[in-house]
Amino acid sequence: MNRIFAFVLSLAILLTPTMGLAQSVPEVMPIAESVEVTESEVKTLPYNFESVYRVPIKLSITEKITTKGQTLTEGQTIQFRVVKDTYCKRKTFLKKDTIVNAKIETVISAGMNGFPAEIIVGDFEIPGARPTQLVDTYVKKGQNRCYVVYPIKWALTIIPFVGSLTNLIMGGNAKIKPSDEVVIYYYPDWK
Amino acid sequence: MKRLVLFVVLSLFAAPVFADEAQLVKENSIQSRIDHVGVNLLNHNRLTKRIIFTYDKKEKKKALATDKALTKRQVIIYDGLYQHVQTDDELAAMLAREIATAMKSYDGTFGGWIDSAQVALGSKKFETVSDKRAVDYLVNAGYNPLAVIVFINKTCPQKRHDKFSRHNLTSKRLARVYEYITYKYPQYLENNEYINNEYYQNFLLTSVENRKKLAEKIRTKSTKDVKYE
Repeated sequence: MNRIFAFVLSLAILLTPTMGLAQSVPEVMPIAESVEVTESEVKTLPYNFESVYRVPIKLSITEKITTKGQTLTEGQTIQFRVVKDTYCKRKTFLKKDTIVNAKIETVISAGMNGFPAEIIVGDFEIPGARPTQLVDTYVKKGQNRCYVVYPIKWALTIIPFVGSLTNLIMGGNAKIKPSDEVVIYYYPDWK
Repeated sequence: MKRLVLFVVLSLFAAPVFADEAQLVKENSIQSRIDHVGVNLLNHNRLTKRIIFTYDKKEKKKALATDKALTKRQVIIYDGLYQHVQTDDELAAMLAREIATAMKSYDGTFGGWIDSAQVALGSKKFETVSDKRAVDYLVNAGYNPLAVIVFINKTCPQKRHDKFSRHNLTSKRLARVYEYITYKYPQYLENNEYINNEYYQNFLLTSVENRKKLAEKIRTKSTKDVKYE
């Protein structure tokens, strides 16, 4: 009987990955401590997106901007004009022709292979609205020429190196003109 | 004696179960931390598109695997990268870059398929865009954008050149992020919480030439792109 116990014991010692246990256990505590999301934290979230009521604000830029010639800088302030009177809960919220400041967030220059340039505008300063109540990222792209570039590239691959020449085709520049309608959304019931 | 031996044998057999559970607890806590910071970024930036975050025990992405941020809008955090993360700011920096990529996959025709292909093919250009958008996302969510610099400085190696590469030189990426913060969020440089961070100081040390170029751009009020090294 003792031999059987001795056999089982030695087998268990051989098969048990105790080293793995020794390595993994101490790692648990420090990480678990840094993750605590308490109930009180959940209750005091700084946002509440429950309401679906929103007011579209239609704007147009006061002066044309373009990515051509590298005249734009990220963080630059640009101005928009409110296109028409905007109402929120049956009250006038914004009068027509009110000037609204916004910022150029990111400028993506046009690239090879027909990649279009892009202007991302955000941080609209709407009088009477908090930034947290706006969904206000506006993106304007240039002409996307990849629809032309890729078919030509693939068609020309039968002639060595010629297909690569299409790499030189640049994408279109992005511009925002006064005739472009920019729509951002105001959620009055959001925190 | 027999009972004692039996007890020892049973406890040794039970040990792997505890080991697995400890591993599960560890993975769960990492996943919770990633979800917490990731969703915080999405909500504070009021991003109206769905993106999920998944922790993967693998060291890094396979060489030919597709970027799931583009195909499934699923941000995968590999263990090799996660091990470099120390603070929530740095974790947010890592996630924000991927969120920027995933958001790009929602734009454009065919359900964003064309734009996703462009991001994948023109990764050099969009690498810079993702870095810059990450800075914006961090600021909006209340994290320090200098963490983007610290995170990239810690995790991305410096190649010899980037002429024929699909990726930018890391020093160029860092310089562009620094320039972006200088122009858009100078308050973070004025009240610099990272001034005593050794990784940030290492960036300052290794970017003297590029920062001189930026200083020249600011002095001359130029709007042209600086040719960083």
